[in-house]
Amino acid sequence: MTRSIYLLISVFVAFVSVSCEEIIEVNLNEGDPKYVIEADLTTLSSDQFIRVTQTVPFSADIPSKSIEHALVSVSDSRGQVFNFTYQGEGYYSFKNLKLQENVVYDLSVRIDNELFEATSRLEDFVAVDSLGVIEERIFNEPYYFVLLKFNDPIDIPNYYRYSTSVNGSTFKFSSVFNDKFNDGLFVSHEITNSDNSLAIGDSVIVRRQCISKDVYDYWNEVQFANPGNAAPSNPKSNISNGAFGYFSVTAAKEYGVRIEML
Amino acid sequence: MRYFLLVFTALFLSISAIAQEKITISGYVKDAASGEVLIGAVVQIKGTQSVTSTNNYGYYALQVAEPSVELFVSFVGYQVLEQSVNVTENKRYNFELVSLENQLEEVVVSMKKQNDNVTNAQMGAFNFTMEEVKNIPVVFGERDILKTIQLLPGIGKGGEGSSNFYVRGGGSDQNLILLDEATVYNAAHLLGFFSTFNSDAIKDVELYKGGVPAQYGGRVSSVMDINMVDGNNKKFAAEGGLGLIASRLKLEGPIVKDKGSFMISGRRTYADLFLKLSNDETVNQSKLYFYDLNAKVNYRFNDKNTLYASGYFGKDDLGYGKLFSFDWGNATATVRWNHIFNEKLFSNTSLIYSDFTYNVNVSNNDRDFTIASKIENFNLKEDLSYYANNNNTLRFGINLLRQKISPASLNAGEESSVNSIDIESRSGIEAAAYISHEWKPSSWLSMIYGLRATDFMVQGPGTFYEYDEDGDPIGEQSFDGGVIKHYFNLEPRLSLSVILNSEHSVKISYNRIAQNLHQLTNTTSSLPTDQYVVSSLNIKPQFADQAAIGYFRNFGNNAYEFSVEGYYKFMDNQIDFRNGADLQANKYLEGELLYGIGRSYGLEWYLRKSKGKLNGWISYTLAKSERQFEQINDGDWFNARQDRTHDISVVGMYELSKKWSLGATFLYYTGNAITFPSGKYQVDGRTLFYYTERNGYRMPDYHRLDLSATYEPKKENKRFHSSWSFGLYNAYNRRNAYIIDFRENEDNANVTEAYKVALFGIIPSVTWNFKF
Repeated sequence: MTRSIYLLISVFVAFVSVSCEEIIEVNLNEGDPKYVIEADLTTLSSDQFIRVTQTVPFSADIPSKSIEHALVSVSDSRGQVFNFTYQGEGYYSFKNLKLQENVVYDLSVRIDNELFEATSRLEDFVAVDSLGVIEERIFNEPYYFVLLKFNDPIDIPNYYRYSTSVNGSTFKFSSVFNDKFNDGLFVSHEITNSDNSLAIGDSVIVRRQCISKDVYDYWNEVQFANPGNAAPSNPKSNISNGAFGYFSVTAAKEYGVRIEML
Repeated sequence: MRYFLLVFTALFLSISAIAQEKITISGYVKDAASGEVLIGAVVQIKGTQSVTSTNNYGYYALQVAEPSVELFVSFVGYQVLEQSVNVTENKRYNFELVSLENQLEEVVVSMKKQNDNVTNAQMGAFNFTMEEVKNIPVVFGERDILKTIQLLPGIGKGGEGSSNFYVRGGGSDQNLILLDEATVYNAAHLLGFFSTFNSDAIKDVELYKGGVPAQYGGRVSSVMDINMVDGNNKKFAAEGGLGLIASRLKLEGPIVKDKGSFMISGRRTYADLFLKLSNDETVNQSKLYFYDLNAKVNYRFNDKNTLYASGYFGKDDLGYGKLFSFDWGNATATVRWNHIFNEKLFSNTSLIYSDFTYNVNVSNNDRDFTIASKIENFNLKEDLSYYANNNNTLRFGINLLRQKISPASLNAGEESSVNSIDIESRSGIEAAAYISHEWKPSSWLSMIYGLRATDFMVQGPGTFYEYDEDGDPIGEQSFDGGVIKHYFNLEPRLSLSVILNSEHSVKISYNRIAQNLHQLTNTTSSLPTDQYVVSSLNIKPQFADQAAIGYFRNFGNNAYEFSVEGYYKFMDNQIDFRNGADLQANKYLEGELLYGIGRSYGLEWYLRKSKGKLNGWISYTLAKSERQFEQINDGDWFNARQDRTHDISVVGMYELSKKWSLGATFLYYTGNAITFPSGKYQVDGRTLFYYTERNGYRMPDYHRLDLSATYEPKKENKRFHSSWSFGLYNAYNRRNAYIIDFRENEDNANVTEAYKVALFGIIPSVTWNFKF
């Protein structure tokens, strides 16, 4: 709802005002560097990757700084320990880690003398009923969305996360949903890529993950960060000790669609 | 409460005792042409300190010691009336003043009692009639009282196009805005570009930013008391204007000549008519407009009884095709009965209703739903003024206010893929009693002191939750009805003036105010969808304690007014939010709230010239406003968003000739405190920003010059007047930053950049006004 209102407001502002946009120089401080851990383990493959990086100053010409000497491991509630090895560009991998249902996984990342930990458990996957593409016209401009329809399980809170890959590019975060307003109903999710630019002829892969509440909260803060927010803040991570990023263990599936003239 | 009654009785008895038996003259002061009563008109016995002014209903009472006296009756913009009266018994004298506007020859202009700003005990107050501010330039040519008061010292501007204002570092929800005594919850149209106050329907505005008198309560930072025009009771009149954005029309006239009158005033914007021209069906079915309707009737039954009924209704409607519509608006209704028990005891009984609602309709494929939210109040007030003698006036009264909040509920159709959600409504009753004594013990000292006692009663039915430190619910309690909790508060008020001589004085003031209605805003511009909450088991009443001291000086035969005021304000039980708080349709909303304290302090300079061809004012505020929350910014003090170090306004109005008058305003203020990133990182291929300190950065400084010119052609006939107003908003086309945001560079995602969005460049406007 808030999102629709923002859309309307931005349309309104664009309409009434001869608003103009201009690149400016802002003198920004450098905060103490923070570690960033992206640990997204899925059932898609038994090759699992975890990335460890560090924040960089705003003016840096790199998006983040890779950390090469971290000790990264995942252990499960059955006592198994998986030690990840460094691959480059901040990525650590483990070749044969097949996620099991009803198992609790613990993440441990040690960098010098600092230890960062998190816990996650595999959530049940909610099957998709049908798949399609729809076009919506906003001020005469066509926008395309991949449509996923499914039955939301009743009486339990469910959280969904989508990432997209367009024409073979790397997967990028698209959106997260909860079932606060449609628990137990036949639900449609409209998915687009991160900058809302799907076009005729694109082939899109949508990755759907059923996530836990803390991971949902993290991504929900990311997706609702907007310039109208009075007090932007760092999304709340489920990893201890002040690290940024998230640890998520999910059942995931991918759906491929081609955007075609309707 | 018992303590309060004791004080009240003691004060009342002692004042009654000193109210010696003298003759009292009383009555109304009115405009000679329209019969409209004048608020704050001064009645003075020539050559003495005996002076009084009319109340909100134009009534005055003055004691005379001798059987024959010479009276001066004056009001801003009117010719001074000099009249001798012979009195042997208590008698009614009504005075009619002639407006200078209808004078052909230049005559002496009177500004109330000319040194009232020095001698009056009230501090931290401003009073404007619409007539005084008519030549101040405004955006889109729409005169707007909310924009005008933002040019005064200590009143922080809400930013480009905003109707919000921040008084002495307080929040925008801490201002009590009253229209004929009814609370206006949302004073903004079109998200703040216009205010809900149509200038045609408004007579006068009184603003208190400190030393708030005891008859007001409920918001901790300020009171803005707006009175609607009563209506011409001598002849039928019409007035209106055609502008680029909006048009207005006002009709007024007598119901029974000299006894009763009506006024009805409307305004509507028509920007949406251009949408109709579009070929696109979605666009030409879209809506974008607002309207206002003000109406008032009054009838004087006899010398002792007058009845007033007034109301306001306004609505904004935005819609995108048939897919989405969003409307919101305020409604108010006030019925007032003035009763004069005797010359000295004036009573007003008010029954007031007001509400604010918004509705969202979405009909998109299989997702049909509506969202409706409402906040409303019923208010019963009894206010009495006892004019014991010329040095003692006692005001006392009681007030019973019931507020009910029905938060946004979601109503979905049967086939919809959305569930209906119903959030419990909340209500509370605030019972208040006050007494206030305006006292002039000697020629060098005057004061207004008082006490307001309030009892806020949290009402059932409802389910109230308990929360742990992280805001997660850990327990619940259900109540059927009745009073769940009382919050008792005693609010002392004082404003005192030490008059050094007729040209300068030192004033001090103190007030404590409690507030039980809280607005939850987590965006930089407040939206109609902002949630309101009343005090509950978790949410405690907000408090502000404010002390101020000021020096007031007039010179050049009262042509110049100068003042400097310093204040310190402490605010308790302030509200902020947890990161990522979910404020919409959330029954655990209170778990998302954080409570902290605030402090603000500052110095305000004000120099005004109110005589001559050139008049206007300069105001400068040097201030600080901070907040402290245990869970925010590591518990350290941080700047409130509206913290402005420097804030300067210059307003000039110049009468070039009989036909042309010019106006100019210049503003400069320090940019808002804001949170900017101090680094960046990447998660899942998306660049995120790293924030370290709440509100640790500043928006760029804001400045702007507006110009206006008014052309009044020579009056061709007596009845019909017309004038043209030309305006130039942002005359030197300054691109003030409305938003500054950060993003990945389009060509190279590794590089991040900052950009600003400016809202308004130079905007010309023209309005044709008429009157007959």
